[in-house]
Order: sequence, then C-alpha cells, then structure tokens
Amino acid sequence: MMSALPEYRTRILLQRENVPLVSGVFMKPGEDIPLDIPEMPIFLKAQIPGATSRKSHGLVRRVDTYEELEENLDVLLSPGKWGQAEGVLITEGLDIETEYYAGCMLDFGTGDKLPGGVLLFSTEGGSGVEERSGSLLKLRFSLLHPPVTEEIETELREFKDLKECKAVAEFLEGMISTYIRYKLIVLEVNPLGLLKDGTVAAVDCRAEFENNAVSKRDREIFFPPEIGSSKNLTRLEEIVELINRDDPSGTGFFRQNREMPPEDALRVATNLCGGGGKMLWEMTTGSRTDIFTMNESDTSGGLSAFKSYRILRVILAQKEARVLLLTGSGMAFQNQHHLAAAVWKALKESPSPLPSLLRFGGTDEDKAQALFEEVSDSLPVPVRTYPPEVFPNAMVDDIMEIASLEIETGNEYVPPSGEPAIIVERPPGKIYFYPEKWTGDESPPSVKACPTGFLQWHNGELCTDPDARCIGCLMCETASLMEGTCELIIHLEMPEEVD
Amino acid sequence: MPGIVKYLAGVDTPETLVFGITGRQGKSKSHLMRKFGTHIIAGCTPGKGGQEVDGVPVFNSAAEAVQSFPQLNTAVFFVPAGAVKKAAMDAMDAGLKFLVLTADGVPSHDEIVLKEYASTKDSVYLGPNTVGLLDTEGYLFGLIGGSATWAKKNYKPGKVGVISRSGGLSQLLGAFHCRPNLPGIREDGSYGPLWGEDYPGLSAVVCVGGDPVPGISMLDAAEAFEKDTRTEIIAAYGETGTTQENDLAAAVTDGRITKPIVIFLGGKFTKAGVAQSHAGAMIRNDSETWEAKNRALLNAGITVVERPDAVFGAILSELNS
Repeated sequence: MMSALPEYRTRILLQRENVPLVSGVFMKPGEDIPLDIPEMPIFLKAQIPGATSRKSHGLVRRVDTYEELEENLDVLLSPGKWGQAEGVLITEGLDIETEYYAGCMLDFGTGDKLPGGVLLFSTEGGSGVEERSGSLLKLRFSLLHPPVTEEIETELREFKDLKECKAVAEFLEGMISTYIRYKLIVLEVNPLGLLKDGTVAAVDCRAEFENNAVSKRDREIFFPPEIGSSKNLTRLEEIVELINRDDPSGTGFFRQNREMPPEDALRVATNLCGGGGKMLWEMTTGSRTDIFTMNESDTSGGLSAFKSYRILRVILAQKEARVLLLTGSGMAFQNQHHLAAAVWKALKESPSPLPSLLRFGGTDEDKAQALFEEVSDSLPVPVRTYPPEVFPNAMVDDIMEIASLEIETGNEYVPPSGEPAIIVERPPGKIYFYPEKWTGDESPPSVKACPTGFLQWHNGELCTDPDARCIGCLMCETASLMEGTCELIIHLEMPEEVD
Repeated sequence: MPGIVKYLAGVDTPETLVFGITGRQGKSKSHLMRKFGTHIIAGCTPGKGGQEVDGVPVFNSAAEAVQSFPQLNTAVFFVPAGAVKKAAMDAMDAGLKFLVLTADGVPSHDEIVLKEYASTKDSVYLGPNTVGLLDTEGYLFGLIGGSATWAKKNYKPGKVGVISRSGGLSQLLGAFHCRPNLPGIREDGSYGPLWGEDYPGLSAVVCVGGDPVPGISMLDAAEAFEKDTRTEIIAAYGETGTTQENDLAAAVTDGRITKPIVIFLGGKFTKAGVAQSHAGAMIRNDSETWEAKNRALLNAGITVVERPDAVFGAILSELNS
C-alpha cells in the first residue's frame, strides 16, 4: 500500500540528510500563530497528503501582512473540498533567481535491464516538467552504489546554462541519499530554488512511500499518532485493521468498493483468498453490469479460523449485500476444514447472514464439504458448496438463482453463559466448557478434536498443556456440536460492533 | 534425473538451509518440506545458534552453516519482510546458489537492491512473495501443498511444467494436471472429464511470486523448462504489471523457447495505476496492460485462455496435436 507524505513531513526527511530547505515553521490546527514565523512576505501552504496543483486550488497563498496571515490561516485550516489539512506550513518568501526541478523515482527494470533508481532534473521548475523532455535529465542510478556529487556534476554539464553546478549536484546527492534511506517511491523537489546568493534550497517538496517500507524508528514521521488514520478507511475496514492488530496470523485484507453500483446490480460480498483469486473473480465479472462486487478481501497464508470468522463477520455486515461468494485458498495453506468451521460459525452468528456460494480446495477439502453437507439445512440461508476444480466463472452461473431464494430473518446470536474456562490470548478467543454436558470417563469430543494437544482431559476435568498452543482452528467447538454433546463453545468477540 | 533447480541454478542435488527455522512458520514448513523429501540439513536464526529444531542444527549465520556443511547450496527463507534483504545477501555471500524468498511485503527498494546484488553473485532467487517451488523428483521449497501428505497425493510426475505469478494458481495448475478424470471444457465445447486415469502429470511448479521485481522471472522459468527433458508443455498464469509475459513472448518469437505454452492471463479489468493485492500486478506503463500482453503472447503463437478452467483442456489439445 502506498501513501503520500505532505511537504512539512517530507522536509523532516530532507533536513535529516542535510539537504538545504527554505526556512519555515509548521502550525497545527488549533495552535497559536508561531512566534518564529519568517519575515513578510511569507507563503502559507495547506498540508494535505496527496494534494497536487496546490497553488491553483488555493492551497498555497502569499501573505504580506499580519491581518492577511490570520484571515488566510482561518481558511486553510478549515475543512475544504480536499478535506481537513494536517496544518499549515509557513515559509519565507525568497528572492529566487532561477527555479529548477528535481525528482527521484524507481525503475522496476525489464527482462534485460536491471532495476534501479532514476534521478530527474530539469532547469525549468514548475508543473508539467515531465512533458518538457528536451530539458529533462534522466539519470539512472544504483540503489546499492548511488552516485556521488562529482558523478552527478559530470552529468549536469549537459546543461550549458546551469549555474552553480556543484551546489546543485551536492543538493541532488543529498536528495538521492534521502530517497534511499527512507525507501521512498517518489521524492520531488519542485521548485528547487537557486537563490541570489548562489545557494540552492528546496522551496517545495513531496514524497510517496510504501507503508511496509517504513522502519520502526521513523514511524512517527510517516504515521504521526496525533493525526490518526490517514488511510481513508471505512468503518468496516478500520475493524479489519483491528482484527489484524489482535491476530497477525496470515493475510487479512479487506477493502470496500468505493464506486457507485449500477442500478439494479446484484451486490455480492466476496471472500476471495489470494491475489490470484481476485483476478479470477474480476475476469469473471469485470464486464458485467448486473453484478457489483462490494469488496475485495484476501484471507490466505495460514491465518487462524478465529480470524477467518471475524473477517467474515465484517464481510457479512455490508449493507445491501445479497450474496456471499467465498473461494477457499488456492490450494492448501489454510486447512479447509478449519475454514469451513469458521464459515459455518459466521453464518450462524451473524445477524445478517447471506445466501452463500462456497468453494473449498486444499487440505481437508473433503471434510469441509462433508461438514456443510451435514449443517446446510440448519442454516438460515441457502448454501451451495463447490469442489476446487469449479472456478468462480462457473460458480457465478448460480449466483442469480441463490440470490432469489428466501432467507430467514432475525438471526440472533446469544453469547455463551457463565465464565470462560480458558482465555486464549493469541489468536484471541474465549473457550466455555459445560462439564454437566459430558459425563463420560474418556475425553470429550472437543478435546479429542484438538489437533495440537492444547486441550487436555485429566481426572475428568478440562485443562491445557502449557507446552502446546491453541491455533484457533475451531475444531473443538465443531466436534462438540457435530457430536451433539455441546460441551464446549467458543466465543469470539469482535474488536468493535460490526452489525 | 535432475530436477528443475538444475536448470534454474545449476544445482543437481539441493542441500537446504532454512532461515527462520526457529519461528512458527519456519518450523512447520520445514516439517512439510522434509516430509515431502527435501534435504534440510541446517537452519539459521541469528542469536539462536547451537539450538536444534527437530534434529536440525541451527546456526547464527549462513556463513557459519556453510562452514559446518559445505554441501549446502540452497536456502529457503521464512523471515519477516523487512529482514529478507540482509538475510538473502548473507546467503549469497556464503555461496548458496538457489534461494527461495517466501515473504510478502518486501519493500520495493529492497527487491531492487537484491536484484542488483544477485547480478554480481553466482546465485539466483525465487520470489519474493512466492509459495515456492515443487519438483516431482521429490523436493519442494516453500509452502506448496500445505501438508506433505496432500502434496504427495496431488502432485505426480508427468509432462507439464507450471509457471505462475500467483500462489493459489501455482498450486491449482499443478494439482489439476495430476487429477484423474478432471472435469473441464472439452475441445468440442462440452463439459466433462478431460482425461481418465492417465492424467498428464507434472514436472515442477515454479511460482515466481506476485511482486514487481521477481528474482527468477517467468522467462527464466520457461528457459529452465525448455532444458528439462521431462517437460513437454508449459502451463502458466500471468497478469498485468511487469514485462514478464512480454519477455516470454519475445523469447518464443525468437526461438529461445520452443515448447508449447498455454497461459491464463489475468487482469483484463485491472485499471492502470491502481494498486493490486499482488503488488506486481499494478500497471505502470502501456506495455504492462492486459491488452498489450495478450497481443504480444498471441503474436508469438502462445495459446492464451481467458478462463482458468480452460487451461487444462487447452493443454490436452496441445499434447494431442
């Protein structure tokens, strides 16, 4: 996932690498005007990640008096069509002699060309620089052995009229160093100003980065805690983030479709495991206007059944969804019997279960199919299961029919009573045990079904093996329910109310 | 008979080191790999040297492991995404020839650095973001199959080589070529068993991973299958992003690849510039679109199918022709 870094935070990165900047101060909403603002005239720049062409959108303003400063700060710090600014950067109005452009980006390479970085430089600053290819230097560089000032200076000599070549080369070296140190995807300085005194400084800058490339020590710059989530997540997506926080096993990806559904389109909630699964579904439905995919989701890579259940509860909570389409893992990372147990539990316990098309493929796919053959009739919604060789393109043929079937309403989940016998911390879950429902001498079905030996039965009592761990597979509860003994129930709390 | 790693990395008999063997995934996947037949002779976790995992000695570094076991030539990595670059570079420095990097979420900068670093070493790597490689000669690296029992039951020796950018489809394309009486779309358009008990079978599955800078590319894998005498035909899954399919098409056109290829090309409706769950599927320029790739593949004479379940019937037709 890529995110944008606004100017004031990009400046922190450049500053750390000693890259010269025009002087400026940052002011957050609600703060007093800083005492150390530069001398007038000054520029006010609203700080909104990802906002481009800020000048033409009125997000950059020149101010010559204190009255104008107060008036414009009010406007820029109020929510506008770009949303709420993180604050305003107040920079000095410099006497710039010439404006240049500088940027760094990645070249991902091809079959016969190694990937690397690319330095872009133009003697003309301002917007639309990419189109002015005649004046644009594109210098490929190694991320492993980046160029030093002298090498950059040699390349810059092709610009006959470039002034202060060495100072510019030094600036660009610092910029490349910043780009590499913080593993940025894009770093732009536009304009890069050549000042009357012969020095250069970044007048404006911005960056883009991969969330997964941010190191722990830099998190506060990239994800300032006081700003909260800048990812523009929906409420349900926020809940999945919390599910992932509490149970990091495997992949738990969920994004809702922001597009407007075509009128009368059937809204389908999906749980497609893996990136390939998403592509298969898109290939099947991408050209259809009668089907609207409500979300993307990828639950794969060995996640616990507890987590599958929780994400399914989120998927099922999407308003106006008519059908659930789930394809189990491409093959086998996630035990399909465990997945089926999670699906069964979610359809039973969600207040808004959906008619479901379910495909299981991989380890214990037969047990997954068998489980649904036994329990389908007891569910409040119609369910159809498919073997792995039936791909989504064939499953979709049944989608209209299953959507038209009647479903029971008023599904109400009652949490288990009493105190939990065992609380599992990771993956989080509460195990309730009812000894009165099991009077046999040998281990009850729930204990026998535990694949890791975490649940034990000693002297007629449930206990746990401290050297084994609960993997959140739901096999204990499934066995207890399937055998009809019902001695063990698992309660999986959601991090927030979903329904 | 040497397996496909002979043609990918010049390794006749893989002797394997597992990075992150003391972690939960490293431990469980090592168990899977060993049970399938992979020779795992050492593990590596910095700070845990001297321990053992299921009888496998653990070392602090690849260099230490190689010192004790000079026959080591292969490494599989179950380390966090942020640690992949350093671990892989250490393994290359220690002289290991074939690396499998399973982690998802390796930063693009790290992938680019690794690619450049490997170009100066006598090493190749699969991934990142790969489920790995399975060879029916009797070894697998990574996670394919989920369990050894399942993998042994579903991947049988035969004539199809599988290349894929998706973990799930790597496994499906591999397993279904080994499934007796597999139902599918026949040449006449009807639906039913494509073959009886005499399924085509598999030489190897090579998942090149879903990231933008793969170590071993689809073309590298195809060149290996070209040399592999077991492989008569290649079944592939490609998608938008990167130039891998374009490079493969060019190699077919100029005669470097002569074995028939059937490919299911995903991403027909992928929009340019939009991030995908496979980081490598994002379209960055015109040559990376579905249309451009489809055109290049068709022009090269490669069979392109638009449904995943059409791959198997197309493979059968090619084998019968």
